[in-house]
Amino acid sequence: MFADVFFVEPWWMQLIKSLVIFLVVFNLVPITLLAERKLLGRFQARYGPNRVGPYGAMQPLADIGKLLGKQQFAPRHAQHFLYVIAPCLSVIAAAGVIALIPFGPTVDIFGTETGLYGIDVSIGILFLFALGAVSFYGLMLGGWASTNKYSFLGAMRAAAQLISYEAAQGLALVGVVITAGSLSLVDIVEAQAGMWYFIPQFVGFIIFLIAGFAESNRPPFALPEGEAEIIGGYATEYGGGRFANYYMAEYLEVVVISFLTVTLFFGGWHLPFGIDPPHWVDPIVVIVKAIFFIFFFIWIRATLPALRYDQLMSFGWKVLLPLAMLNTLVTAVLVVTLN
Amino acid sequence: MAEFFYFLCAIVAIAGAIGVVALRNPFYAVLSLVCHLFALAGLFLLLRAEFVAFAQIVVYAGAVMVLYVFTVGYVGGDDESVRPWHGPAQKGVALVFAGMLFVELCLAILGSGLKALDGEGAPYEAGFGSPGQIGELFLTTFLFAFEAASILLLIAAVGAVVLARRRGAGRVEADRMTFTEFMRPIGTGTTAEAVGTRDAGINLPAPAAEPEREQLESGRGERA
Repeated sequence: MFADVFFVEPWWMQLIKSLVIFLVVFNLVPITLLAERKLLGRFQARYGPNRVGPYGAMQPLADIGKLLGKQQFAPRHAQHFLYVIAPCLSVIAAAGVIALIPFGPTVDIFGTETGLYGIDVSIGILFLFALGAVSFYGLMLGGWASTNKYSFLGAMRAAAQLISYEAAQGLALVGVVITAGSLSLVDIVEAQAGMWYFIPQFVGFIIFLIAGFAESNRPPFALPEGEAEIIGGYATEYGGGRFANYYMAEYLEVVVISFLTVTLFFGGWHLPFGIDPPHWVDPIVVIVKAIFFIFFFIWIRATLPALRYDQLMSFGWKVLLPLAMLNTLVTAVLVVTLN
Repeated sequence: MAEFFYFLCAIVAIAGAIGVVALRNPFYAVLSLVCHLFALAGLFLLLRAEFVAFAQIVVYAGAVMVLYVFTVGYVGGDDESVRPWHGPAQKGVALVFAGMLFVELCLAILGSGLKALDGEGAPYEAGFGSPGQIGELFLTTFLFAFEAASILLLIAAVGAVVLARRRGAGRVEADRMTFTEFMRPIGTGTTAEAVGTRDAGINLPAPAAEPEREQLESGRGERA
């Protein structure tokens, strides 16, 4: 049915590996949550959470337990079906990307050929942007269905921000695609064996990272949730488990964008200086690199002040997008002349 | 398996299409169009055209429908429905066009003699529908059509920008920003402003609502 999906392994191996990949990446979410609160504390010269468990390590469990234990409520005028389904869409869109992240090449596990990735689609990067479209509906429907002006304004902001920066992000990735000659993420990683793409595609890397910050709706791009102006944005009317869903989607997005940055620009499972470890090290390499970028996300959040909304839009359309186009053009010319 | 997915997608696609016409609330009508587009993408996947399927989702569901949702979200209230205009002339015109469309579809479907029903369908070749092959076709066989379409879209984009400019002619300068202004925005309470050494607060940009709409319109041109 799906013509260009290469399944090298039997069905039971697919089940096992999808479970393992999902659980490993998903468990980075509470770790990110804790790391952010601890690190933000340190950045701001305080301790951060230190009451629950040793060094406050059980804080995410306490948070999640509290959120899930709360009463589920909805505003009386809310469009109930959409109100319930919107946070789920957000999580689905963020979690769907996990399937595409390559953790290693095809290896031999106890005599079974296994690709260390969820799926290897021939149109991998388009898949990413299709999921971006779904995440738009998650935010937009949530804000609209709450029937609250603040929610609606937040949703409009979130959606406008998402599509503005998605355009720049897409064009930034075109450079990578041209250089690698493939849309498949596994092929892109394999093409980086000689040189990681953040060197030839440095501009693309910067644009991708900035757009990534914007897409995860986090400071300094946290306008959709601008507490000072529009209360909580699209999540204003959400509480308990549904709010936890939005919250989780945001952190999952951070984790996923870190993994994508590693995959697209930092050589995936490759190590520098021609070090070639055995294959079981590959996933660890990817995860360690991704954790560095998760730290980077938190660092940026602690460092930069938020943009004003019109600055955000001008920056996206008038700086990032033309820069991304220029990058694409230069890359195309260089690839044609050098080959 | 393929049959199951085919009927699933086909039913959702038809239900979505009916929903677009039948639903009274414009927001839900737009949403059912989105469902329809996703189901169509599923059908493309079944035809092994992954590129087309995902381009469909990215371009239509992700860009075009986003603008529909924006517009309807701003304009349509929660329970306000589009008030149908019951005029005899409208009904007559609608019937004529529906009839013409029906005849056209009949010609297209019956004209083939329905020979394909008994066939196996087109054979599958490796690499069919891959981005590489589609790109090659665009730049060789269908070069003229491809370029004509892109010029058409460019004209639409330029037109959108021109229209937006004309309407906001009085305050064109408001949303223009230099690099130094970006790095040190006016009116954000810097020390220099507080002691009056910097041109404080005089040239504050207009409220964000209007420029935002402009941005969106020019954005549509670039993404469509």
